[in-house]
Amino acid sequence: MNQHTVKAYGDELNQITAEVARMGGLAEAQVADAIDSVARRDIALARAVVERDLKLDALHRDIEKKAIRLIALRQPVASDLRRTLGAMKIATDLERTGDLAKNIAKRALILAEGEPMQPLTRSIERMGRLVSTRLRDVLDAYTASELDRAVAVWQTDDEVDEHYNALFRELLTYMMGDPRTIGACTHLLFMAKNLERIGDHATNIAETVHYEITGEDIVGERPRAQPTAEDSDPTPNLSTH
Amino acid sequence: MKFRIFRSAEDQTGAGPVDPTETPRMGGQVLPEVTPSKGRAAAEPRLEDATPVSNATVVDSPPVGPIKIAARDVSVFYEGKQALYDVSLDIPDKTVTALIGPSGCGKSTFLRTMNRMNDTIAGAKVTGRIAMDDEDINDRSIDPVLLRARVGMVFQRPNPFPKSIYENVAYGPKIHGLVSSKAEMDEVVEKALKRAGLWEEVADRLQSSAMGLSGGQQQRLVIARAIAVNPEVILMDEPCSALDPIATARIEELIDELRERFCIVIVTHSMAQAARVSQRTAFFHMGRLVETGDTEDIFQNPRERRTLDYITGRFG
Repeated sequence: MNQHTVKAYGDELNQITAEVARMGGLAEAQVADAIDSVARRDIALARAVVERDLKLDALHRDIEKKAIRLIALRQPVASDLRRTLGAMKIATDLERTGDLAKNIAKRALILAEGEPMQPLTRSIERMGRLVSTRLRDVLDAYTASELDRAVAVWQTDDEVDEHYNALFRELLTYMMGDPRTIGACTHLLFMAKNLERIGDHATNIAETVHYEITGEDIVGERPRAQPTAEDSDPTPNLSTH
Repeated sequence: MKFRIFRSAEDQTGAGPVDPTETPRMGGQVLPEVTPSKGRAAAEPRLEDATPVSNATVVDSPPVGPIKIAARDVSVFYEGKQALYDVSLDIPDKTVTALIGPSGCGKSTFLRTMNRMNDTIAGAKVTGRIAMDDEDINDRSIDPVLLRARVGMVFQRPNPFPKSIYENVAYGPKIHGLVSSKAEMDEVVEKALKRAGLWEEVADRLQSSAMGLSGGQQQRLVIARAIAVNPEVILMDEPCSALDPIATARIEELIDELRERFCIVIVTHSMAQAARVSQRTAFFHMGRLVETGDTEDIFQNPRERRTLDYITGRFG
């Protein structure tokens, strides 16, 4: 894309994009560290995740402020307008992602007080790695304006759902086998749910990137894992989009 | 009242086979007939050499509603230098069409072809065909003076006559003999001033000089003068560039009201103004029409790279 005739305008736009990329990097690290803190029962790391969330919130506010200022002073249209609004929307998704990571870290602190739940935390770790990869891919697609990569993330959201459904069954089996694990398993279940929601935010970001680049919504049906009949969890298909 | 500067519909229907000498001509060259049914298909903007901005497969949307002016392959030369290249554009009735583009892109030149203002420039030559209600306005039988009563024009700087407010508005109806009595003239003047949103401000001083009005009032007076002769089309060449934001807003509000009765074509350098007042936008660049479509599409997601660069302020 050509340079703006008013260079400061282009600089401001680039600055907002760069800040969203930075916020994305931080959110990615928050998710990865939250997962690590669960897997390694690392209290210090979990506390660090909880504290660092403030930074994400501050970045979110800053990006919104800059975007509103740009709209007021430059009146962006067409691709510039989509880029500005896209930055605001993605920042919101990243802020929510950070909140969910913080929630996982808080639960990690509680779990660390009890008995290790080895095989289960490993399942959480696996699902966490999958979600982190998707988040990284979609943020790379954002910074490099790679349409195909964003679409690829959008199309594979069902992998996360499948993981979630499998974990749900696994946890249920544990709780039925030994009611003393119900407390810990419920925390793990919420962690899994949080990860599933983070996956949804990655999908949202993929949609925003698509709109920003093309000006069109992604069309077509996103594949979605169906919960099996014996599943009693009513939530998996009620994801918010 | 209507001017009879074109042959009426009855003249045509009873005419039987078309007289070969009636074939539209310009500069000795026989031009293709523009028929309304075929005209739509031919109106597809020429974008074959265009690089699409997105890979979305969108076909350029022709305007909805009846076409008031159909330009086909219009080129303009000033002293042999070509200023406009093969512009084909449909301008719908009762709609505001904005012509945008950088300075020297040909948008004003194109605007001026629609009421034959280029005739007044020595060494200017217009080729192609411009049909208003399917009649070639460049036809030898058309009196440009009467054409300009049907196609009014408002310029960048308000240009009231150095006469009273009343006389400014009454001038057109008088020279065209549209009224027969003083009472009728009073009525025409009042109606025009009301439609131009100026009546309230000048009703008590109709006999004072128009030169004493503010810039914005003068511009509305000029619009009242244009609509006093019952035109069908109003051409506006940057009508707000000499006005402050409040006067500009009043003119824009007026344009929006006038749209219900007239076909309006406006040239503007303000992209925001084009977005605010128009329903259709045509983007010109280096004497060519680059892209045309509904204003909301052009400003949200133009299909041509050059349009995008221009409206987002990226032109080198």
